Amino acid sequence: MKIVLHHAHEARSMRVLWMLEELGVPYDVVLHNFFDKSLRSPDYLAINPAARVPALEIDGQVICESGASIEYLCELFPEKGLGRPAGDPERMAWLDMLHYAESIGQHVANLTQAHIVLYKPDMRSPTQMNLEARRLLKVLGRLENRLSDGREFVMQSGFSGADCAVGYGVDVARRFVAFDALPRVAAYRDRLVARPAFKAALPPEGVQCIYTQDFYEAPDV
Amino acid sequence: MILLHHIPFSRSFRVLWLLEEMGLRAELKHYSITDGSLRAAEFKAISPVGRVPALEIDGITIFESPAIIEYLAETRPEHGLGRLPGDPERVAYLEWLGFGETQASILGSLNMQHLFMGDPTPASPVMMKLEAARLGATLKAMDRVLADRDWLLPSGFSAADTMMGFNLFSAPYYVRLDRFPNVQAYIARIEARPAYQKARELDGQQEFYKQDFYDVPEA
Repeated sequence: MKIVLHHAHEARSMRVLWMLEELGVPYDVVLHNFFDKSLRSPDYLAINPAARVPALEIDGQVICESGASIEYLCELFPEKGLGRPAGDPERMAWLDMLHYAESIGQHVANLTQAHIVLYKPDMRSPTQMNLEARRLLKVLGRLENRLSDGREFVMQSGFSGADCAVGYGVDVARRFVAFDALPRVAAYRDRLVARPAFKAALPPEGVQCIYTQDFYEAPDV
Repeated sequence: MILLHHIPFSRSFRVLWLLEEMGLRAELKHYSITDGSLRAAEFKAISPVGRVPALEIDGITIFESPAIIEYLAETRPEHGLGRLPGDPERVAYLEWLGFGETQASILGSLNMQHLFMGDPTPASPVMMKLEAARLGATLKAMDRVLADRDWLLPSGFSAADTMMGFNLFSAPYYVRLDRFPNVQAYIARIEARPAYQKARELDGQQEFYKQDFYDVPEA
């Protein structure tokens, strides 16, 4: 089996890179960059016409949605125990958490767009930025509740692929909302970023990244 | 008993439609974004984020619509609407479920900026333009795929198509669909399905859109 991941540092493809590291299976990475034209090259457009990352190539099939990539990788390697397959008592909750990651991801993406992609302040809407930060905080409240029974990961039974999906969003979210009111989420993030597989998915020192600040304050309205 | 917490023309319509395709009738509990019912303590106890859908089924409650769709297709395989592990279309099925939510996130952002921030909206025209262009790109991708097939998957109608239940209602408010004839024909096929028609009957009146089309305001 040949697995190739198209990745850009700190992008949503980091979920899949982290997942591959957790699985410990052989794969290749093709690194792309938002700051040049590599996502728009004819070679890459033939793989992913949307010119976005991730694109995960597995024996000729291409998956471009990070959540779908994680779900499929869990099914390809059931012996690694990172999925909760049909029939598992945690199946429904696992699916709900996997897709919950997109609820986090949407607000994080909107905030990234507003604070970073719109590079001049007069392009931005302070009202929208405040609103998105509040919505993100509210969505993270669900995770705070979920962790209130003392569980370490989103599944009671332990770490799973859903943590790669949710955890990436949480790690970016702390750049846009303070975690003071979310102590369990903060501790959850600490557990995740300490994992060797997470660290292996981080960009190396000194490369150009999406996020250049630890925290992006919403402007006053 | 199946209970669906629902707002007309929202993501919960996906679930309502899929249940109809399976011949399952849910009890509907209607909410409104304007009357405070989403923020009421009673609903907060059900949905921690105060959002629809929430589906109570099989003794559990599920919130994320793609998760509900996957769950229903897996636990009711006799309807043949999922593409389960081992199916040659498994990857494409998961991909379309993800695509549906990627597209919906753009629509959610456009809805927020055009409809829910006040009138005139203090949203950023640059961002509204960017989001409309991104939405157009997703429709273009669909148009290409639908050139040679009736449904998102080559083998025929599936639960992945029901992800479009919210998307394709909302998209024409922000992007003119005459550029995408295959998407228009796909919408016509969807509207001809009896289960879709029944779900629309049960759905209720939409409260989001006050005009037929929302242009990007001048910067």
